Amino acid sequence: MIAGLVQILLWQGAGELVSHFAFPSIPGPVIGLMLLLGFLSVRGTIPQSMALVADSFSQHLGLLFVPAATGVILFLPQLRQHALAIMAALVGSVVLTIAVTALVLRATTRDPHE
Amino acid sequence: MNNRLPITEIWVYLSGSPLLALILTLTAYQIGFYLYQKSQRNPLANPVAIAVLVVATTLWLMDMPYDKYFEGAQFVHFLLGTATVSLAVPIYRGISGLKGRAFPLLLALLCGGATSIMSAVIIARFFSADPAIVGALMSKSVTAPIAMGVAERIGASPTLTAVFAVATGILGAILARFVLDGLKITAWWQRGFAIGVAAHGIGTSRAFSVHPEAGGYASLAMGLHGILGAVVIPLIAGYFTIH
Repeated sequence: MIAGLVQILLWQGAGELVSHFAFPSIPGPVIGLMLLLGFLSVRGTIPQSMALVADSFSQHLGLLFVPAATGVILFLPQLRQHALAIMAALVGSVVLTIAVTALVLRATTRDPHE
Repeated sequence: MNNRLPITEIWVYLSGSPLLALILTLTAYQIGFYLYQKSQRNPLANPVAIAVLVVATTLWLMDMPYDKYFEGAQFVHFLLGTATVSLAVPIYRGISGLKGRAFPLLLALLCGGATSIMSAVIIARFFSADPAIVGALMSKSVTAPIAMGVAERIGASPTLTAVFAVATGILGAILARFVLDGLKITAWWQRGFAIGVAAHGIGTSRAFSVHPEAGGYASLAMGLHGILGAVVIPLIAGYFTIH
């Protein structure tokens, strides 16, 4: 497990460096993700210890954004003021996104159950 | 005899160390996760939403400022970047399981991603929401750890973005069934992929509880949308602020 964590941290470090010096508009961890994805495609398999770390992260990903999301208490007046706009945008956007994605998939596939 | 002084001292000592914030964060999440499982994974009992409610209430009761809490909780926050990198693993698994569906999936992802940003911005502007809100809405369909990184780059609030992302996930997990049934989309992989594009991790967890194939495609969609969003949203945001 430690070996997997070390590898992931190294890819994160590489991503931060590339982001800082070459693509400042893309967050470092996302570049790290792309580099690791490239590495896995070349390697052909996922190292077991890395799979272990990745699976524990993805199972409890939500825990990691609790500290930042709690900051919502600082925005309550603003959220109340724009409550209608926010609800409309969130509901409208998620419904349209699901519909458009699904319709494009159906239109571009001949037999969906194949 | 004098019992009050030591207790106050212990309290002052504890609230000055990161330990208190860490215990609070993890306990709150534990409570949230417990309730989520007890409710048969009902999207309304979202563990993050419950944890935020518990932490916020506790901070209010203890009269602890948010900044001070975050100072301690930042150790959890820091792992967001590492968790983002590790998303490469589920994406790789998803890609290697594709059966010649790459073209429809990528096209659907592009159209879905564009719809998610454009519709949120247009609706919010129609109701004249202020620019801070509109900026934070842009990356709300992208998985929260990436969305927050993107928010930082485009000058939006990572906190608002995280809150909108969680709300989007919950709404998507609840509404997806009705939208997809209404459109008569029956293939599990199509249903799963659509949920993953629109409602990232929370939608994916919902998809997994309905059907494994839907879950796998939802997870792939969430990962790909994360990458696409991180690359494209900063460019789109630049366009919107100029015009």
